[in-house]
Amino acid sequence: MRTERILAIILLLELAIFAAIAPNFATVANTFEITRLAVELGLLALALTPIIIAGGIDLSVGSMMGLAAVIFGALWRDAHLPIFTAALMALATGMLGGSINAVLITRLRTPPLIVTLGTYSLFRGMAHGLTSGITSYSGFPATFLYLGQGYLFGFLPPQLLLFAAGAVAWFLLLHRTVYGRTFHAIGFSPEGARYAGIPVARRLGLLYVLAGMSASAAAIIYVAHLGQAKSDAGTGYELMAITAVVLGGTSIFGGRGTIPGTLLGLFAISVLQNGLRLAALPGELSGILTGGLLIATMSIDRYYATRSRATPATGSEETTVKNSQVAVLSAVIVASALLICGSNWYLARSLRGGQTLAASVTSPHAPVIGMMPKAKGDPYFVSCRLGAEEAAREHGDELIWDGPTDLDAAKQNEVVEGWISRGVDVIAVSVENRAAISTVLRKARARGIRVITWDADAEPEARDFFINQATPQGIGETLTDEAARLLGGRGDFAIVTASLSAANQNEWIGFIKQRLAQKYPELHLVAIRPSDGDRDRAFQETQTLLKVYPQVKLVMGVAAPAVPGIAEAVRQSERTDVKVIGLSLPNLCKPYVHSGVVQSVVLWNTRDLGYLAVTVADSLSRGTLKAGAASMEAGRLGRIQIEGTQVRLGAPFIFNKANIDQFDW
Amino acid sequence: MKRDFAVLGALVSLLAFAAIAAPTFFSAANLRDILLANLAVLIVAMGMTLVIVLGQIDISIGAQFGVCSVLAGMLAKAGCPAWLLVILLLGAGAALGSLNGLLVAHLRLPSIVVTLAAMAVLRDSLRWATGGKWVQDLPQSFQWFGLSQRGGEWMLSLVTGAILAGCVYGARYLMAGRMIFATGSDAESARLAGIPTVRVVFWVFAFMGALTALAALLNAVRFPEVPGNAGAGLELKAIAAVVVGGTSITGGRGSLGGSVLGVALLAVIGPMLTFLGVNAYWEQAIQGAIILVAATTTMAARKRT
Repeated sequence: MRTERILAIILLLELAIFAAIAPNFATVANTFEITRLAVELGLLALALTPIIIAGGIDLSVGSMMGLAAVIFGALWRDAHLPIFTAALMALATGMLGGSINAVLITRLRTPPLIVTLGTYSLFRGMAHGLTSGITSYSGFPATFLYLGQGYLFGFLPPQLLLFAAGAVAWFLLLHRTVYGRTFHAIGFSPEGARYAGIPVARRLGLLYVLAGMSASAAAIIYVAHLGQAKSDAGTGYELMAITAVVLGGTSIFGGRGTIPGTLLGLFAISVLQNGLRLAALPGELSGILTGGLLIATMSIDRYYATRSRATPATGSEETTVKNSQVAVLSAVIVASALLICGSNWYLARSLRGGQTLAASVTSPHAPVIGMMPKAKGDPYFVSCRLGAEEAAREHGDELIWDGPTDLDAAKQNEVVEGWISRGVDVIAVSVENRAAISTVLRKARARGIRVITWDADAEPEARDFFINQATPQGIGETLTDEAARLLGGRGDFAIVTASLSAANQNEWIGFIKQRLAQKYPELHLVAIRPSDGDRDRAFQETQTLLKVYPQVKLVMGVAAPAVPGIAEAVRQSERTDVKVIGLSLPNLCKPYVHSGVVQSVVLWNTRDLGYLAVTVADSLSRGTLKAGAASMEAGRLGRIQIEGTQVRLGAPFIFNKANIDQFDW
Repeated sequence: MKRDFAVLGALVSLLAFAAIAAPTFFSAANLRDILLANLAVLIVAMGMTLVIVLGQIDISIGAQFGVCSVLAGMLAKAGCPAWLLVILLLGAGAALGSLNGLLVAHLRLPSIVVTLAAMAVLRDSLRWATGGKWVQDLPQSFQWFGLSQRGGEWMLSLVTGAILAGCVYGARYLMAGRMIFATGSDAESARLAGIPTVRVVFWVFAFMGALTALAALLNAVRFPEVPGNAGAGLELKAIAAVVVGGTSITGGRGSLGGSVLGVALLAVIGPMLTFLGVNAYWEQAIQGAIILVAATTTMAARKRT
């Protein structure tokens, strides 16, 4: 219980700090929003707790979520099964996947780390394969989506009840039954447990089957939450879940750990992420602080462990949870909840006056703009950010730049939820997944927040304006025409894309194929290879491509980091007959354009895109831009045309040797 | 050594299949490219084998790799001469590794938790510091250490070969190597036998850090610029290669030769599937299946002996 106590203190500290510095953190709505976002991760963490206690590990749960989501979507949409049956089948899939782990681990005695490392690739790969990475199932009925997006009694997320039921069930099984105690025994010593008459293999097998099932349940809730089922569901969740479990004091060597500890660990992480977001602190801090937390709790724990070693016969205390301790823990949770509710009630009353005032008079304070890229580290968005900051300085806006570190639709929703709770004036999103984000954007609009999309659009009625830099069709056609021009209208070429499930890239490739069929029958696209946004991967894929398809005379990269990788591979192969074009940033490609390896780079001015998005956001919140306007004044960009609700940046631009030096971004 | 045969068998049968279905796979250029692309994995797999033999694990190496790559780029850009750059970088890597070592060896914290934390801290700090920007406009002398491309390739391969030979020799014939195996099979008996187990654990982590820095440097000089997200997923690649190569995850048993075979097996699967014309969407599933088959046959082989 020691770790739990330390964690409880840390959690209370977090709550106190964020309540003081983060706007609207300590509100009922936000409290439930935190729990809603923690449910999927929590289900995985709960299932992993007994596995780790029993000395095992399961790395495949995140991938299982992807596979279960895809199967659930396919059964419902393509096989026309009722949603309930589809959900049951998805659960069965999870149990089947879990059984594969179980059989390999318990019957063939293969270490769980290796087995689940294998199934980690296998399950995710099957999800990608079944959908070709592209298919995204959406359009689920409202009654189903209610499970993930609605509110019971106006404030309680329905999935929270499921989660609470799951947590109680795991708690009772693990800490209140003889059956559950055997997991601790197995964790301490599998051999000893076997001699004590415990059927070790069967007990362990059951845990892996249950983990597969929990992952499927998490997948179904995830689908209901986001409104879409896609093969990348749950990417990276396994590591976050394991972090929550070990933070909660479960020993990675087995034998020691509790469900309440896992719950505390889970909430310590979720509260941290939510609080940082509301306080508009850099999201990178969450990784740094989580790491610090892990080390700190473990070290404090270790410190007390070595001190108490002097007094013997306290070892048994570590694995038991007394009812009195549960009572104290629950009391702490209830007390903190009451504290939050109370302060919230007070805050809400004092704030409400101020806020309505702020909304009626045209923003006396500087507009707060929450702006989100698809992925923060991507060079493309890094250059958009420069323009956005320039515009924010010019207009005197407060700009919050936050988003997923890698492409992640669920994370985007989480960030928007955070901004709604915080109460920003404008939300500007580059949308990763249309169906997934539109629900939460509508919610933002209903709360009086202005919403614009930039770079990639949401559903039209979910936002006020879309800053359109170029249509997917325009991009696809420009790239195809450029390829045809360089190849003289005939020959073979290959594409290196971002990840196989990237929505934008797949849309462009769709238009490229369409253009080929219509206009260039003698131009053949022979292969599409993934680079996962990794320069080195693009390099290696291109090297292989050039050898497998020696007749390929042009390689096209449709992700910013991929083009330099492709160019370097072509240069090192000394194949001067192979041309390289693509969608990338001028600065990344400049050396290759000058040395003649890259013929042309197609892109709009990303810096202007960021600038324009913030300018539109600013005009909207100051009331100078209204729905139905035909044009607007956009600072250094001059007058910009507006068609309906689309603000046009201009046509895609082709950079080549002649003009690339004029651009520095 | 029995365990190595199962991996060797898997590798040989895979290569034999490729020889029939796609003979062009065995062109010298292709094998050279595959080798060069996996030098970094090969080097970190050596350190990872020793870490796992100790019964520990290090999942922070991908993040360390990223930090060291960017550091190498920034040092080169600042005009740091090559010899100094190598020394500084190895020092930085060893420092990062010994931070892990300090917490694991002296505070006795579980290595998976320590390195999980280190991974999160390093990755996010790097992202915060660089804002995702690449290190560009490096001096001409950076790529291939200023050698010609062929010369650079030879140099990289030779350095890696020397590291490999050194590790294999050291693990088998040097006292330090034997201490690692002794500590890994039973730390308490090793301690009673007079082996300074705490120091052994500490230095293996420091060594792992230095190897990671070296791998980062050798990988960085293959290109004219350094991306901000280098080394993503490297830890999983290295761990997979080591465990597929037959090293016991519970410590005490393992061979560096097996890890080399493990790296080779994982390295050829991807390109080979491309050569065989397998649709990219199914590749990951097939990779997972091959790992499972290799691992279970290894276990079956172990059971029989």
